[in-house]
Amino acid sequence: MEDFLELMVSVCEAGSIYGLVALAYQIVLRPTGIINFAAGEWAAIGAFAAVSFITWWKLPLIIGLPMCILAVGLVGWLTEVIAVQPLLKRDAPELSPVLSLLGMLIIYRETVSSVYGVDNLFVPMPFGFGRVELGSIAGTSQSFFIIITVVFSFTLVWLFFERTMWGKAFQAVAINRVAAALLGINLRLVTAMSFAIGGAVAGLAGVLLAPITSVHFLMGLPLAVKGFTALVIGGVGRVEGALLGGLLLAFVEKVTIRYAPIPSGLALGAPFLLLILFLLLRPSGLLRARGEQ
Amino acid sequence: MLEIRNLSAGFGKVDVLRGIEFHVEAGELIALLGPNGAGKSTLMKSIIGVGIHHRQGEIMLDGENIIAASSHDIIGRGLAIVPEGRMILAPMTVEDNLRLGATRLNRSQGHSLAEMFEYVFDLFPRLHERSDQIAGTLSGGEQQMLAIGRALMSAPRILLLDEPFLGLAPIVVQEILDALTMLKEAGLTQVLVEQKLDIALALASRAYVLIKGEVALMDTVKSLAARKDLDNLYFALASVRETEEIS
Repeated sequence: MEDFLELMVSVCEAGSIYGLVALAYQIVLRPTGIINFAAGEWAAIGAFAAVSFITWWKLPLIIGLPMCILAVGLVGWLTEVIAVQPLLKRDAPELSPVLSLLGMLIIYRETVSSVYGVDNLFVPMPFGFGRVELGSIAGTSQSFFIIITVVFSFTLVWLFFERTMWGKAFQAVAINRVAAALLGINLRLVTAMSFAIGGAVAGLAGVLLAPITSVHFLMGLPLAVKGFTALVIGGVGRVEGALLGGLLLAFVEKVTIRYAPIPSGLALGAPFLLLILFLLLRPSGLLRARGEQ
Repeated sequence: MLEIRNLSAGFGKVDVLRGIEFHVEAGELIALLGPNGAGKSTLMKSIIGVGIHHRQGEIMLDGENIIAASSHDIIGRGLAIVPEGRMILAPMTVEDNLRLGATRLNRSQGHSLAEMFEYVFDLFPRLHERSDQIAGTLSGGEQQMLAIGRALMSAPRILLLDEPFLGLAPIVVQEILDALTMLKEAGLTQVLVEQKLDIALALASRAYVLIKGEVALMDTVKSLAARKDLDNLYFALASVRETEEIS
């Protein structure tokens, strides 16, 4: 039983990271309709920012973490300015920004590898290697830090979308871009903000992940794939769907690896079976947007 | 107040509007008439700056050319539109729809959100009763009231209405006619796109008739109402234009 509970802590930890990357996809996708596969690279840039700010410059976490988030938020905003806005201005075909962002993915990866090299880099555990035990639930301090930070972040994003006028404006753009424009909502600003906030959220995922894994220039792609899978599972329409999708994906992944009598390489494919199942049987994901039939 | 000079516009490479000349003075309610496909809605889109390519001309608002301005800037300058097909945000509540209508409300001119809600709820008490209801579950007439109320939330100086009576029951048409009359009496400048002459003649002081993307006629409503060919006005004007084109 204890083994299973510890596994569940690990599921929540991994699911939280996947959920954050899924949320980064969602924040861009809802108001713009653009699937941003560079979200995984944004997370990787967050991890490399942590290497710079926390490992090399030895900034305390309380300063280093917000700086990393701001830096990747800035990268997100620049991504929109460079790769998306010029296409939207020219009424380019719908798929153009997606392809352009795939190009940015390559540019980011190559830039990171030339700046930081191709070797593994490390970020120290902010709370050391100690274990935390809450009754029969136990895990590393970093696991609990990730879970708490992610729950807090999701709550903030949820409050932004549900309780602020800016969040409502994002929703209006997601529902009907033309209607939103006719209300005087600045579509250009909403698009830029969605990329900046999406970048910040993905960057947070990278910073949280960095201490428990090695930081490497190829770390973005698996995160992009897992985040996208979590998004499909959870549904695009609601913030909490991204977290739910991330947790379900991590659950299937971890439980299959731990308990299924199949080689671990095959077990890694289990989440993608889940992705195919959802695409076939429930393409809207677990949670549908409010008002959607 | 709003003047359009030699405006040509369209979608992609297709020209829809050609050489449009049009003006509306402060406090006026003018009608923009014409058959289906005449370019009335395109002209509305042109003015508000959404989804249209301008080829040439000027759209002057208070003496300033706004042809290259973005829609949020234009709405911020005091224009608002009740679009064709209402375009309410169906999954949101009535209150959220109205609140978003106030996105460009100019608070520096003394307007407050609470005051605008009061103003709209006085005009359409039914929206007050249903303020927590999901907009998509309202009846067609209530949705049209919401679309008008939402446009009014930005305290506009000019209200553009694109076929607000389309598909409504007669009793609702009368309610909306009454509301627009009240707005007219309060001095709000309005441009009403309409196909039905009787409705337009009841409200407007002047009317423009668009045929095939061009202004075929501009006249006072009194003169229009006195025309012998009023019942076949669009057909008569279209025939005259065709004759002119051939010769």
